[in-house]
Amino acid sequence: MPIAHTPTAVPVIVDEAKCIADKGCTVCVDVCPLDVLRISDLTGKAYMKYDECWYCMPCETDCPTGAVTVNIPYLLR
Amino acid sequence: MDEIKSGLTEVVCDVLVIGGGTAGPMAAYKAKRHSPGARVVLLEKANVKRSGAIAMGMDGLNNAVVPGYATPEQYTKEITIANDGICDQAPVYKYASRCFKIIQELDGFGIKFQKNENGDFDVKKVHHLGSYVLPMPNGDTVKKALYRQLRREKVLISNRYMATRLLTGRDGQIAGAIAVNTRNAEFLVLRAKTVILCAGAAGRLGLPQSGYLWGTYENATNSGDGYAMAYHAGAALANLECYQINPLIKDYNGPACAYVAGPFGAYTTNSEGNRFIECDYWSGQMMQEFYSELQSGKGPVFLKLNHLHSDTIGKIEAVLHQVERPSRGRFHENRGTNYRERMIEMHISEIGFCSGHSASGVYVDEFARTTVSGLYAAGDMASVPHNYMLGAFTNGAVAGEHAAEVAVNIDLADYNAADVVREQQRVLAATRREDGIPPNQLEYKTRRFVNDYLQPPKVTAKMKLGQARFAEIREDMESAMVVRDAHELMRSLEAASILDCAEMAAFASLFRTESRWGLYHHRVEYPEKNDDDWLCHSILRKRDGRMIAEKRPVAPYIVPIDESERSAYDSQRIRQHA
Amino acid sequence: MTVFEPFEAFGDLEEIAERLASEDPSVRRLAVLDLVEMSSGEVVPLLAGAILDAEPMVRQQAAQALGEFDGIEVAKALIGAVPDPVAEVARAAADSLAELRDPEASSVLLPLVTHPAAFVRAAVFRALKALQVDASLGPAIRGLGDDDSAVRVQAVGVIGYLKKTETLPSLISATRDKSADVRLAAVNALSFARSEVGAQAAAAALSDPEWQVRAAAAEAIGRIGQASAAGALIASLADGYWQVRQKALQNLGRLRVRDEVEAIVAFLDDELPSLRKDAAAALGDIADPRSRDALTRHTGDADPDVRKTVIWALGQIGSG
Ligand SMILES: Cc1cc2nc3c(=O)[nH]c(=O)nc-3n(C[C@H](O)[C@H](O)[C@H](O)COP(=O)(O)OP(=O)(O)OC[C@H]3O[C@@H](n4cnc5c(N)ncnc54)[C@H](O)[C@@H]3O)c2cc1C
Ligand code: SF4
Ligand code: SF4
Repeated sequence: MPIAHTPTAVPVIVDEAKCIADKGCTVCVDVCPLDVLRISDLTGKAYMKYDECWYCMPCETDCPTGAVTVNIPYLLR
Repeated sequence: MDEIKSGLTEVVCDVLVIGGGTAGPMAAYKAKRHSPGARVVLLEKANVKRSGAIAMGMDGLNNAVVPGYATPEQYTKEITIANDGICDQAPVYKYASRCFKIIQELDGFGIKFQKNENGDFDVKKVHHLGSYVLPMPNGDTVKKALYRQLRREKVLISNRYMATRLLTGRDGQIAGAIAVNTRNAEFLVLRAKTVILCAGAAGRLGLPQSGYLWGTYENATNSGDGYAMAYHAGAALANLECYQINPLIKDYNGPACAYVAGPFGAYTTNSEGNRFIECDYWSGQMMQEFYSELQSGKGPVFLKLNHLHSDTIGKIEAVLHQVERPSRGRFHENRGTNYRERMIEMHISEIGFCSGHSASGVYVDEFARTTVSGLYAAGDMASVPHNYMLGAFTNGAVAGEHAAEVAVNIDLADYNAADVVREQQRVLAATRREDGIPPNQLEYKTRRFVNDYLQPPKVTAKMKLGQARFAEIREDMESAMVVRDAHELMRSLEAASILDCAEMAAFASLFRTESRWGLYHHRVEYPEKNDDDWLCHSILRKRDGRMIAEKRPVAPYIVPIDESERSAYDSQRIRQHA
Repeated sequence: MTVFEPFEAFGDLEEIAERLASEDPSVRRLAVLDLVEMSSGEVVPLLAGAILDAEPMVRQQAAQALGEFDGIEVAKALIGAVPDPVAEVARAAADSLAELRDPEASSVLLPLVTHPAAFVRAAVFRALKALQVDASLGPAIRGLGDDDSAVRVQAVGVIGYLKKTETLPSLISATRDKSADVRLAAVNALSFARSEVGAQAAAAALSDPEWQVRAAAAEAIGRIGQASAAGALIASLADGYWQVRQKALQNLGRLRVRDEVEAIVAFLDDELPSLRKDAAAALGDIADPRSRDALTRHTGDADPDVRKTVIWALGQIGSG
């Protein structure tokens, strides 16, 4: 069975202008219990890679620069 | 990151703690304090800094037995009654006797509990019977404070490792565990003299009504791995049919927080704005009343705050939008729900296993010992009923101390190398396929059938159909699941735990041929409680590769419950049926 | 098998110190975060340096970080940052000061109770509160006369935490403060002593213009447990705010005063279920047989919580 990809709107947004992942920060990636954030090879900034979010907010709370915003996943909004 | 690498490392330790949420950090801390020279490893699937139910803290202790407000006897009695008599009291009593010391200790860690203007703990009353709730206005700092203590004590922390199976020795005693790195799939074999399971509830069992796999009441990392591991190691699991089901904010699936808002005067109502709950304690009985009201013409059910003063609501919001599930404020904002103007629509959660809120867990005694020698369990996954956060801390401490003490006096058990090879094959099988079914689809299907067939009211024919569907999914999982990176590998292992738990839920529910614990185990064909045959634990375990169930007597009460107290509770039930 | 440690590293002080000297403020800020992770007291001198950084965001991070540590050195570093011109830094430093638990830190704090900036004075009192050292008593009593109400609130806290009977007169005078926040704190702080004067002061506060203060006063009377204040509570059953009437009911029950059951019984017919319930609970606490008939008439109340409480109350009274 071949695999298709279904689009999904992810709930977590990173403000790339504020994110300092390129300076070595990985705080949000480290603290996420579901392990769904990554630093992009392309932009050097954090982003949500997997749509598997418990909307629990450590990523937003612990980000030193206030770059992360957690929204409620659309399905339950 | 995330590509699958091959690798296997073996480490040796004295005490291994699996799960660094609430009970786990306390267990590791206490083990290390008990034996400072010991190697204590805390293994965590996520990151100990922000993992588990209390990732963002809690808004209060739900069951603080504080001298001057409540006694251990009173608490033990209430839990026994709330749990319909099926309660080994020794661990409950031990918890109740020790938990105040633990509060003081947590206070010393810098975890802030609400104090009055005289610096004393500000205990609140939420239900009729006793005063137990101790608010934590700055609860979001809990994890950080625990983490500092672990670092100071030089506990060895392994983050992003998911334990997949326990290892046992020749005589069935514990020998360690196998874990997989969630970002590169490398294996870790941890040999240990004693192992403490603290992997939390089985919270990803039922599917939330939103259909979002991750929109669970429990932290969605808690996929029931602990239950599955204990099962495969041969440990006894108790009363799994006593599901966890909680009242929640509809769709948001976060706690409605009667425990926070209650002391300020909020309460649960039907759509007419009237109270309807008869039951005192948060229990299956209460959930039955909640469920019945939802089903009746008087639903939906609401949390009512709009009669409170705007300042009072401000205080409630300051707690609810800050700790525990802080995204709640955003949810309400999207929906345009202001607590001041509108009642908040509530619903009930998906089913799960959890002793923290209910009584479904790995069987443990008052030293947190399971039935496997050298294996302990604490927190939501251990069988001490209605244990909540403070129970996780307290019994984690009990387990840590006992496991450290035992570890001093025994040698490492040898494990069977073939077990590790077999586990590697099981774990990696799906990575060796080119295409097939991804884990999220297997998980979705399992959980949808959990809703369709296992949710109460429980019907025999439905549960049997469920079993047949689960068997089909298992075949697909073993023959056709495909995994493409290390992250997805973790999800596939979780899907396997979820399926194990689904099978256990069906099996245990079919075994107990009576109704008990209100909604949690409401069996349509056996609507009555049958104390003559079923005032006992149901124990599920794996024997010779198969699932079996048996009865186990409730230990003689150490705090007697007289007939009138029991019947007072039953009379609430009768009124409800009428 | 590889020699590989799958454990979190405990951190390398020298390596972090190097990053702390970086030209890039973001790198310095991340270095501060790594220092906190080390969780050991040896990082305090580096944090004390970082709190003087040229860049506000590094100072703020360091101020926050110091909250995770304790002792005189921490106190000194933070004190220096409380008057910081950047509000976020100042607030972080004040918050961190309040985390101190080492009583020794009071020696650094006490000299600052007369600091020219009100924000600093308030932060210092707030920190002293948790330390619970007798030496703060005098300054706190003087602090009750501070111009700034936020400082007075914290001063009440310091006194309240020390729970000394001889401070009652000063707390009582604070119950008449011009700021409602101060009055509220003072009323809440009164009840540590089972004292007649305290009860009278709380009774007086039942006529406070602010309903929150009146509700707290009713609660304080219950905790103090002097029956002499019951009359004032009865009067509060006519308060304009139901929240105050509710507290009055609850605390009449707590005082177990038998003379006034009639006034309480009247509330069994109140339109608010919460008040009916608390009336029944109070009658149960008081357990006077004279309320039996009234309670019996309400066993069929429309509200389940009220019914339950009525039945419980009847049980308390017994059949005799
Ligand atoms: C939303 C919510 C609100 C609550 N509110 C309150 C409250 O107000 N008051 C109260 O007293 N109680 C409350 N509770 C209950 C309380 O939080 C829990 O009972 C308690 O925290 C459970 O602790 P635990 O250690 O068993 O589980 P957790 O703290 O959930 O920890 C389990 C840990 O195990 C890890 N893990 C899971 N599987 C594996 C694996 N295979 N390998 C390695 N690690 C693994 C997880 O990542 C997690 O960190 C609430 C619970 C929830 C979910
Ligand atoms: S925590 Fe903030 S700054 Fe750091 S990587 Fe994440 S988004 Fe970027
Ligand atoms: S909200 Fe929670 S689960 Fe979602 S990305 Fe942030 S930390 Fe991860």
